[in-house]
Formats: sequence, C-alpha cells, structure tokens
Amino acid sequence: MNPYIHPVGARLPRLETREKITGRAEYTDDLVRPGMLHAAILQSPHAHARIISYDTTRALAVPGVIGVITGDDAGWGRSGPFVKDETAIAKGKVRYVGEPVAAVAALDVDTARQAAQLIDVVYEELPAVFSPDEALAPNAPIIHEELATYVNVLGLPVRGNVLQDCEISQGNVDSAWGECDVIVEGEFETQAQYHAYMEPCAALAEVDANGKLTVWSSNQSIFRDQSNLSESLGLPMSKIRCLSPKVGGAFGGKIEITVQPIAAMLAIKTGKPVRIALTREQDMETMRVRHPARIRMKTGAKKDGTLVAREVDILMDVGAYADDSPGVVGVSTVFSRGTYRIPHARCRGKGVYTNKLRSGAFRGFGGPQAAWAGEQQIDEIAAKIGMDPLELRLKNAPEPGREWMCGIELERSDLKECLEKVRAASDWKRRRNEKGRPGFRRGIGLACIPHISGVLSSSAIIRILEDGSAVLSTGAVDNGQGSDTVLVQMAAESLGLPVDRITFAQPDTDASPYNWGTSASRVTYMVGRAIVGAAEEAVKKLIKYASQMMECAEVDLELRLGGFIGLKGVPDKVLPFAAISGYAHWAAGGPIIGTHALHYDGPVLDPTKAVIKHFPFRFGVWTFGVHAVEIEIDEATGRITPLAVWAAHDLGRAINPMAVEGQIEGGVVQGIGYALFEEMVWDGGKVANPSFMDYKIPGTMDSPMEIHSILVENPDGSGPFGAKGIGEPPIVGPAPAIANALFHATGVRLTKLPMTPERVLRALNEAPRAH
Amino acid sequence: MKFYQPTTLKQALKVLANEDDARCLAGGATLVAMMNANLLAPSALVSLSAVKGLAGITRRKNGSVTIGAMTRHQAVADTAALDGGQRLVREAAALIGHPAIRNMGTIGGSISHADPAADYPTALVTANATVTIENSRAKREIDAQNFFTGYLETALEPGDIVVAVSIPAGVAGAGSAYEKFARVQGDFATVSAGVVLALEKGVCRHARIAVGGCAATPIRVAAAEAKLVGSRLQDSAVAAAGVLLAAACDPIDDFRGSSEYRLMILPTILARAVSKARVRAETVS
Amino acid sequence: MTTTVPITLTINGALHQAFVQPWHTLLHVLRDVLHFTGTKRGCNQGICGACSVIVDGEVVRGCLSIAANCQGRTITTIEGLANGNTLSNVQQAFLELGAVQCGYCMPGMIIAATALLKRTPKPTEEEIREGLSGNLCRCSGYVKVVRAVQVASERGTS
Ligand SMILES: Cc1cc2nc3c(=O)[nH]c(=O)nc-3n(C[C@H](O)[C@H](O)[C@H](O)COP(=O)(O)OP(=O)(O)OC[C@H]3O[C@@H](n4cnc5c(N)ncnc54)[C@H](O)[C@@H]3O)c2cc1C
Ligand code: FES
Ligand code: FES
Repeated sequence: MNPYIHPVGARLPRLETREKITGRAEYTDDLVRPGMLHAAILQSPHAHARIISYDTTRALAVPGVIGVITGDDAGWGRSGPFVKDETAIAKGKVRYVGEPVAAVAALDVDTARQAAQLIDVVYEELPAVFSPDEALAPNAPIIHEELATYVNVLGLPVRGNVLQDCEISQGNVDSAWGECDVIVEGEFETQAQYHAYMEPCAALAEVDANGKLTVWSSNQSIFRDQSNLSESLGLPMSKIRCLSPKVGGAFGGKIEITVQPIAAMLAIKTGKPVRIALTREQDMETMRVRHPARIRMKTGAKKDGTLVAREVDILMDVGAYADDSPGVVGVSTVFSRGTYRIPHARCRGKGVYTNKLRSGAFRGFGGPQAAWAGEQQIDEIAAKIGMDPLELRLKNAPEPGREWMCGIELERSDLKECLEKVRAASDWKRRRNEKGRPGFRRGIGLACIPHISGVLSSSAIIRILEDGSAVLSTGAVDNGQGSDTVLVQMAAESLGLPVDRITFAQPDTDASPYNWGTSASRVTYMVGRAIVGAAEEAVKKLIKYASQMMECAEVDLELRLGGFIGLKGVPDKVLPFAAISGYAHWAAGGPIIGTHALHYDGPVLDPTKAVIKHFPFRFGVWTFGVHAVEIEIDEATGRITPLAVWAAHDLGRAINPMAVEGQIEGGVVQGIGYALFEEMVWDGGKVANPSFMDYKIPGTMDSPMEIHSILVENPDGSGPFGAKGIGEPPIVGPAPAIANALFHATGVRLTKLPMTPERVLRALNEAPRAH
Repeated sequence: MKFYQPTTLKQALKVLANEDDARCLAGGATLVAMMNANLLAPSALVSLSAVKGLAGITRRKNGSVTIGAMTRHQAVADTAALDGGQRLVREAAALIGHPAIRNMGTIGGSISHADPAADYPTALVTANATVTIENSRAKREIDAQNFFTGYLETALEPGDIVVAVSIPAGVAGAGSAYEKFARVQGDFATVSAGVVLALEKGVCRHARIAVGGCAATPIRVAAAEAKLVGSRLQDSAVAAAGVLLAAACDPIDDFRGSSEYRLMILPTILARAVSKARVRAETVS
Repeated sequence: MTTTVPITLTINGALHQAFVQPWHTLLHVLRDVLHFTGTKRGCNQGICGACSVIVDGEVVRGCLSIAANCQGRTITTIEGLANGNTLSNVQQAFLELGAVQCGYCMPGMIIAATALLKRTPKPTEEEIREGLSGNLCRCSGYVKVVRAVQVASERGTS
C-alpha cells in the first residue's frame, strides 16, 4: 500500500528528517535576530540562604554589557503548575546550589559569562536539608516559609516542608493480610536521573515597540510557556507570543518553564532581542531530575498466586520547588498497584521539599519508581510459592468486565496478550533454563508496565486551502518523538488526502489552537482525537458545499480517496476538493475550516469506590506493556550486560510503526541507563557530577542491539483510529526486569538503583551461593 | 591570551622559555575541555601541530620503537611496529575514548596531563618506556615510572616539552596485554592493568606488571612480579601477585567506583591481562 | 594582551575567513561566527559528539579544536554532505530507516558515520558500534542508527 495514500499504519519517515540530517533544522540556539544580545546567569553557591543585597556595578562596567537583572527587578511573579512557589530568578532567598540569582545580557557570550561572575551578592546562610528525612525532622528549617500563602491550584495539603500527601486505597488491607499465604515486604530506593536531552535548555526573547513579547524556546508546550511566562513576568497572555523551533529532546524536562523568563526579562529591560543557552553543566545544575524515591511496600498472595493485598508508602524528594511533583507523586501512587487486580490496596505518596535541584516530570512520571518496587515483589512472591513469574502475572492480569481498580472497568485488557507474545518471542522457557558461560551468569526477567495516555485538553483546526490541500494546526510541539508526522498521517487519512497535501502549521500561541502539552503519552491520543473531529467537520462542510454545487442531497455524497467528494454509487461523478474549496472561497459559504476541541473524558478513578485523596488528574486510557530482558553478569566484576530485550506494548493501533519502534528502542535504552549506572549525585547541596564526563548515559556500546518491539494492536474504542500513546511506558520496564533477571541468574536481589557493578558484586559476595 | 604556531622545536622551546604560564597545545582534548570549563586560562597557547619532527612512529634495528610526542592515539592503535612486549601500548591506545578523541589526542599530551585513570601511563610503565624531554637548555630522558610523580603531576619542569616516548624491544618472545575496566565503553579506567610476560616451556621467566586507576600514579610492585616469575602462572600465583599489588594501591572514591571496589576487582583485571598476555607469549615462543 | 588570529578555512569546499581569539574553538567559529549552525553543541567538553566535524579527512570534536590551530584546514560539516538535493548514502539511509528523532545528535552522528565508512567501508556491527561510540543520542536507542549505517555501507560510501 502506498504510505502516502493510506498513511495510517505506514512506516513513514519523519517529515522533517531532511532538515535534520542536512543541518538545516533550526533549534533555539541557532536563531539570530538583528541586534541580538547573549545572556548568562550567575548561580547561587549556597543551598539555602537569604539574599541580603546585590551589587551589579562591576558587571555593568564591563565593556559590552548592556543589562543586568536580579531578583530585585520589579515584576517577578511566582509560577508553577500546582503550587506557585517559584520565581525565575531567586527573590529574597536561594533554595538550592546552582539556582539562578542574576543574569547579564551582553554583546557576546564570553562577555556575558565573565560579567555574571562580577555581580556581588551578599547572602546570609541558612541551615539546609538534603533529604526528605531531614526535611521532615522536627524543627527542620522551613524551605518555603510562605508556602501557605502561595497560590495552590488544587488545594493540596501543604504544611511545613510537605508538598504532597496523597492516598489511593481500596478494600480492607489490614484484615486482608490474614487471607494471604505468603507476604513479602521490603524497602526500595531509586536515584535521581537526569533527562540528558541532547539540546541544553535555551530561549530567545524579543519585545516589540508595543511591548509585546515573542519567545522562541526549546519546550514541550508553547501554551505552558505562555502561561508560565505570564505568571512569571506579570504580563497578560495577550502580550506574550510563544513559538517553538525544533526541540532537541525533552522527556518531560521541558514541559514547564526553563530559561524563557530570564531571556524575556532581559529583553524587556534592554529593549533588545536576548538569547540564552545553558551550558551542559548549568542545565544539570538548574533544571530537573527524576524524583529520588524511597518506597516501602508489602504484598500478599494466596498459595495459588492470587494477589490479595498491597500496601505502599512512597516518599519522594521534590527538591526546592514544587514544579510537577504533586502530579508525579500522585501518579506514582496509582501506578504502585501495578498492572494487577489487587482487591485490597493502601497506597500513599508523600512529596517533600529539600534544598536540592527540583525534581520534575520525566518520561514515566513516577512509574519507574513504583515498578522498581512492585515488579520485584511480584517475582519474590513467585519464587516463594514456586510459580513461574510469567504465570503469576497472567493469573492476576486485569480482565474486561471485571473491576480492575478504583471502580474502573476496562473495555479490554491486553496485558495477557502482551505476556503471551513476550513468552513466545523470547522463548521464555528455554531462556529461563539457560546457564552462563564460565565466569558469567545468565538470566532473564520480566516486568509489567501500567500506564495511561490522555489527560487534560487539546484542539485542532483543519483548513482546506484553495487548491484542495490542507493546513493542520494543533499547537502540539514535536520533541523529536515524531508527532508532527503522526498527526499529519491521521489528518491525511481522515481527509483522504495524500500526506504531502497536508502542511503542519508550526506551533504559535498567536495562531495555534490550544494543546496542554507534549507530555503524558498524550499527543497521539488527545491531539489525534481533536484532528479526527476537526477533519469530520471539514468533510461535513466539503459535502455541504459539494451538494450545493452538484445540486444533490448531502446524504448522497461521500468522501473519496485522493481529495474528492463523490456521488454514492456513481464512480465518475466527483468534485475535487480544489473545486469545492474554490467555490467556498469565492462564491458561497466561506473558507472551509474544521475544528474540534476536547478535554479528557474517559474512565476516571471513582471516588465512590475507593479512597482518593489529592490525586491531581482526571486520567486516562489505560495501556499495558511487558518487558523481558536477558542479561549476562560478570561474576568477577559484577557488571551486568543486557543482551536482548523483548518489549510488548498494547498501543491500540500504531499510526506509524517505525516511530513506535523508535519510542520503544529509545525508552528501553534510557531505562537501561537508569537501571545500571545513571545517577545524579550531590555533595551536600551541590550536584557533584554535572557533566557527561561524570554522569554517564548509554552509548552505542552500552546498549543492546537486540531490542524486539512487539506491537500489540487491538484498537481502543476511544482513540483516534484506535491509537493510544507509547511515549512513556518503554522506560519503565528495564530496571525491574533486569533486577528480576539478576535474581533469576544469581539469587541476589538489589533494592537500590542503579545496579552498578559494585552493588552487584558486593551482593554476590555476600550471598550464599544459591545457584 | 596569545597564540603561537611555531614550526620548529627550537622556536617552541623559546616561546615556552619566555612566556610565563604558557601551555603547549597538543591534541587539545584535555586542555581545551579545561579551558571551556573555565578551569584554566593560560597566558599563551603554543601549538605543537606544525612543529616538524614531533609526530611519527619509528622502529629501530634493535627493536625499540620511538613514538613522537604529537603522534595521535589512532596512529599508535593502528601501527604494526609495536608487537610482542610492546603490543600492550597499541592495545591501550585503541581503548582511549572514541574515534574522534583518538584522532585528536596525542601521546605527549596524555602523559603530560598524567591522569592516573588514563591508559598510556599504565601501559608505558609496564612496557618500561623512556620519555624524552627537551627545554631551551637541555635534553634528557626519564623512565616512564619516574616520569609520573603524582596525581596529574610529572617530572616536567616549566619550559619542558615531551618530544618522544621510546619503548624498548624488551625480552625476546614476550607477550603483553592491556586490560581496562570502565563504567561505560570509552570512559577513563576504573581499574586497568598492563602485563608483559615471557615464558619458557610454560614457566614464566619474565614479568612486568602495572596497574592504573588505583593510585595517584601507575603502580608497579617488584614482589608481585616475582610471584609470577618461576611460576606456571597458575591462578594462585596470579592471585598472590594481585594481593601484593592491591596492598600497594591507594585508590580514591569517585564516580568511577569506590576505592574498595577498585581493590576488589583489581586481581580480576590483572588475571585477565595475564591470561591474554600468556596466550600471546605462548604463540610467540 | 590578546592576539587576534586571522584564519582561513575551507568549509564544504568554499573558502572562509575569520578573526578569532586564541581560546575560540572551531565549534564556536563555525556556529557563532560563520553561522554553520548545523553542527551542534551538546556539552562543550568533548563527550557527546554533537559537534563532530571532519577536518582534513578525519572526524574530530569541534568543541575541543582550537580555531586558530585550524588555519588552512579543510573542513566538512553536516551542511556539506548532500550534493544539492541528493542526500549522501548515509543521510539517505538514516532517513529511510527512521533513525532520526529529535535530530540534535544527528549532525555529529552522521559525520561520524561518514568518517567511519571512509575508514572501514564494510564494517561489522561491532565496528559500527565502536565507530559511533563517541556520539551520544538520547532518543533513538541506537538500533536504527546502527542499521542505517549497515544499509549505507551495503550501498557504497558516497
Ligand atoms: C571524551 C573524552 C574521553 C577520553 N577518554 C580517555 C580514555 O579513555 N583514556 C585516556 O587515556 N584518555 C582519555 N581521554 C583523554 C585524551 O586521551 C587526551 O587526548 C589526552 O589526555 C590529552 O592529549 P592531548 O594531545 O589532547 O593534549 P592536550 O589537551 O593538548 O594537552 C594536555 C596537557 O598536556 C600539555 N602538553 C601537551 N603536549 C605536551 C608536550 N608534548 N610536552 C609537554 N606538555 C604537553 C598541555 O599543555 C596540557 O597541559 C579522553 C578525553 C576526552 C575528551
Ligand atoms: S559539544 Fe563537543 S563533544 Fe559535546
Ligand atoms: S535523535 Fe535526539 S539525541 Fe539523537
């Protein structure tokens, strides 16, 4: 089938690939405006300190310096998605080492950087806390004294250093332990992972003569930028236009504000365009990480493998600012139940401020932490009752028509199919019995992944151009995952037009319809639904005008492939879109525009069926995944080498299988980095390894070439063409699957991430030789 | 900052003698990274790129091999000149970083920087190499082992330029190997080991060993080598050598591993180097 | 005292001149002075490979190369690989196999792959991985990148 004519389901190369591989794609730091200045930041040396005063004289005296901003500049407001606790430049207090305290705009970067170091800031140091335990201790220093006065969008129960305290519970856990034949209990720890998008955060801002601000930046949502900028700078949204050039990866790290307000404030102050690009070190010191977590978990089952009860306490280190933490803690708490029917569950999540870099949204959004604990306990139970871990998972998989959790009944559940497909593809039984070569152990382990796609709102506009081609406008930013292409494929399929007859309007808050963000595995699902709706409306109008032109009833007309409206049953009675659109433009009716807007409307956690406290989302269409990872362990060094990965994901329908494989392969490798060596480390309040020299991410030699993507395609009733999202789930599986493989191979279980050679070797040395 | 592009060694040495705080610019792979990170701002850069006679590998009749200071890691990795007891130097060069780093970095730059986790220092100490140094007044030679004096410290004095490294032919019939353990491929070593062995009818008659990443400089212990000489390189002998080496090491805790972990795996890395070198020595003899 | 150094570079076949400071890197001069912005800056420390360019036939790090030291050299950047609208074999394979996601690492990755195939026209999978080991990509997971290089190698190296 010609992919350009039947685009949905086609392995279509990304539409913008040519630009990217010829070096012509423009990212924020590639943009130049006339008279543009370059900016640099000064960062706090203290983890917690009051700012007493600034002296900018020396900096301003450097030739080439045009402007300086500090927290004293008028206009700074607090912003944040849940609790508005953060100014773009510290005001009054600094709360983590590295926090921006001032910025300079100069004729060139060297000058700006040099001058920034010449700004003198007088601090009064305050006692600081570096872990949730320290922050929760009685008499701990309070990081946000005015927390109670901040705008708190959802009325979260903030107090002291506690930001989020949520619960998702059901059944009667306390009495359920009595029904269990086997109970496992443990404490698990996860580390801070850095997003390591290859493009460090950058922004370019410019103010016009009327005071209207235009901001180009590396981001996941121009609309979140606009809203955050408005709060940050105290400007009405109508005075702010946000645009997105190409984005060099994001993974959650760019969904909220980054450096846009700094560039904007400098542009306002100097009247010149100002560009800022963080260095890699600054990006690692000032942006975001995945939440470090400590998870206490207890799971009970019957002898036959039926899961009965689970109790979970998640404690997450939020860092100095709230950012997306209330959401991440909440989602982690829901996902801590895993992919299983567990009648009795009590899951609590707590997020606590510390004087460290903020934790934020990161692909998986709390899922990786929860699965690290939960999926290991499933294997522990399997081992205790002597059941194959795959069978145990099958036994407890959700089924359509039966309640799954919190009142939700799934229309269908493809977890079993994912499990069966992984079993077959990995040759599970044979590999479970494989022994390693001398000096090495070999093992294979599983992990199941619960996730959702679709939260919040999206919209789309399709306008038919005079020649019958179309422009698709959604406001969705492509972070590299390929959404521009996938969205165009869906629009093309809906309109019966070839892909090259659709142009994708670049996101622009002045012109694009609203989209909350490229996040939460939601673009394909939510924006896709908006596109299908918009296309339906456009087609309706095409039919209406065609009926006027052909003088027949609308019901007798149909959409035909290739951009035609035809008379049903009469093959050669057709009108091309060009003729109809021309008629609409020049004769009657007006330009043909289809629009559709929606808010997530699917099944939600039901507060009448379960205790649901402070869970901040209406969410989402459920999707499941199963990973099996085969590993080899060097007995003498403790190094784990992942050999092969089988990754089955229930994604409804793959709009573009090649893009889906890309998401799976990329997510799996990010998950392997998380599993084996990635870890942001602090020395007191300072990030100790803010460079790629010290913080390692996987390269070609550290990544398995055997990543088998298994696409389980059973169309979802609500999704566009049956599709659900696939952006996040693939990162969740590798860590617990590898931990389970390690146990399978050696009898050793690690509860702390990452599984460095050192931790593995120590565990091997301490363990009785079980195998 | 000034920039000099001398074309002769004499010119280069003269500039170095006259400029306080000037730095030689070799491959730049370390120097420029440090400058970019604001860790270093020399008064002048003296590029060695155009200096005649500093790059190249020559094998002499007596079997010794001289590597010019400006020879790139890739050229050393590719050379056929290094074999037998010298082969580990080539093996070490091939394990440095990644292709682009090997196309830039030079042996002179690597040893002048003297990172104990780097690959050349350990390999050169094992291979009993000599470093040739010149300044505006004199020329001198120093054993690799005495060249590395501390963490990022060498026997170089202000005004000195490393002009070459020579690796002796060594013991006839020797085999050698360099083994490296790093967090990810292309990283600096957590632990590395170099071994040169010669065998006679399965009995070791010559051994030189050095380990890297485990102290401020590469570590060589005569008693550890003595454990191997006269042995059949059985596991117990190699393990005993490992224990002696570990006792002489004083590794630090860093992101590449804790001090304790380094000592835990050192005997293994050594054993792997020994077994590779042994196979090679056997094929030679 | 600072010396400003005049340099002449042949970039993608054309002569360019610039006045540079001794600490300026080739990456800085390419991107910020001559506006060859296809070459990317991911770390400025020599680790990520986003700045890879070919100098006198060999792949190097733009961010670790002192510009003044490149006087008279011949440089190929990502902008110089295609012939008009005809992509190079490597570019074409990356496109077809869907190896490119956000694309930020790709100029460096494609330059490194091009240099690899020049040195080793028929590399094994292992040689491809080793050849690209200094180019970090956070999106792709590398599988399609390695396959693309295999495909390009089967088709020849132009
Ligand atoms: C990403 C990355 C990975 C790396 N991985 C490894 C690795 O795995 N193993 C490893 O061993 N190394 C590694 N390195 C370091 C690399 O090998 C460097 O090339 C080397 O350490 C320095 O060599 P250079 O020629 O680039 O020297 P430069 O950076 O030019 O100089 C380094 C220092 O030596 C001085 N100097 C240079 N030449 C001379 C001379 N002839 N006489 C006197 N002084 C001189 C300079 O003034 C400077 O102080 C890595 C580097 C990078 C950036
Ligand atoms: S920017 Fe040069 S290697 Fe990262
Ligand atoms: S494609 Fe995004 S970093 Fe490689």
